[in-house]
Amino acid sequence: MSMDDTTAGHLQELRRGTVVLGCLVRLREPDYGYALLESLNRIGITVDANTLYPLLRRLEKQGLLTSEWNTDEARPRKFYRTSPAGEQLAGILTADWKNIDRALARLTSGDER
Amino acid sequence: MTAPTTTLTDRYVWAAVRTVPDAQRADLDRELRERIGDASDALVGTGRAPADAERMALVELGDPAVLAARYVDRPLQLIGPRYFLTWWRLVKMLYAIVLPIAAGAVLLAKMLSQAPIGESFADAFSVAFALAVHLGFWPTLIFAILERSPGRAPDLSWNPDMLPELPETGRAGRLGDLIASLVFLTLFAILIIWQGYGAPVVNPIGETVPVLSPDLWSFWIPWFLVLIGLEMVFAAAIYAWGWNWWLAVVNLLLNIAFIVPALWLFTTGQLINPEFLDVIGWPWGEAGGVVTTIIVFGAIAVTVWDVIDGVIKTVRGRGGSALSLGRI
Repeated sequence: MSMDDTTAGHLQELRRGTVVLGCLVRLREPDYGYALLESLNRIGITVDANTLYPLLRRLEKQGLLTSEWNTDEARPRKFYRTSPAGEQLAGILTADWKNIDRALARLTSGDER
Repeated sequence: MTAPTTTLTDRYVWAAVRTVPDAQRADLDRELRERIGDASDALVGTGRAPADAERMALVELGDPAVLAARYVDRPLQLIGPRYFLTWWRLVKMLYAIVLPIAAGAVLLAKMLSQAPIGESFADAFSVAFALAVHLGFWPTLIFAILERSPGRAPDLSWNPDMLPELPETGRAGRLGDLIASLVFLTLFAILIIWQGYGAPVVNPIGETVPVLSPDLWSFWIPWFLVLIGLEMVFAAAIYAWGWNWWLAVVNLLLNIAFIVPALWLFTTGQLINPEFLDVIGWPWGEAGGVVTTIIVFGAIAVTVWDVIDGVIKTVRGRGGSALSLGRI
């Protein structure tokens, strides 16, 4: 395994949970898969379609997202929206994310070694 | 082609949804069409021809069967990590225990029914082969079904009591083996000598009848007594150094030096004293052949096991029991 593969693997692991958090926050406004994919990547939360679409289904199955088919346009689209349970989880994940960030900052500055 | 309007997308969606349960088909169908449509529209937006864009979008999605399996959370392996070790231990244990017993039983049964030696071995081999296929297939099938059945895994959780004992590396662990070997070999040597003088078998005129042919005293009985002496030295060597490959080979040679002449003498009728056979009324009608076969078979089985046991102990690098299969 080359150095680049190792780095890519660790980056992917580090980002895995942030995609869930990104979806839960972003889907407070209902949206469909492709639009979500585009907007997450645009703001720097990188995710590919083969990860995102199954993830949306899983989050829906876990009751963190709700979905509704929009058939107004020629192509029917499934719109997802964060459920109250998803909102709660987003709060917990965000708090934890900030804790980790602070902890890493302390480690880096060498305050509480 | 069923209709001129059939597109690659239609074919892809059909290939994916046919593998999921009926209830989820309509939903997955719509979701996939949305996803493929949006992806190819985006590609068209970057200047690609619609046909190329559709094809690229499908390539991006990958194998429809894999995609569908991900959608419905179906495992893509025969036996996953949840059951793999349990399955592996079971199969190893079945092979180690059932196969040799079954092959040996068939071989013995064939020889007892006076079948030719080649045919006996061929039958034992074919039974062992068929059994190996069955022993591999059925547990695997059951575990593959378990892997695919919903619900909690049966409680096969590990606990510290299952930890194997550390191998006994010191001499203390081998002392038992040494004592057992020396006692057995001594008794064996005494028995060989004693049967020539004080055996409890007497002829009609009251003379003691040796069990082994008295002619053997010129060479073969001393040969076997020397071998017994060497076996004692060998047992001491095992005690001193533990099993290693040299000693495993010596064990093989000692076994061959013993079993080959013994069986040759036995089967050519030179081993047992003819007068002794007269006294016990040998051959016992039909039973004679059976008893002979069982003795030959048993002797070979014990020898083969002793050699294998040496190899197993060498491989494990210890003097403990070789019967702790299944612990792994």
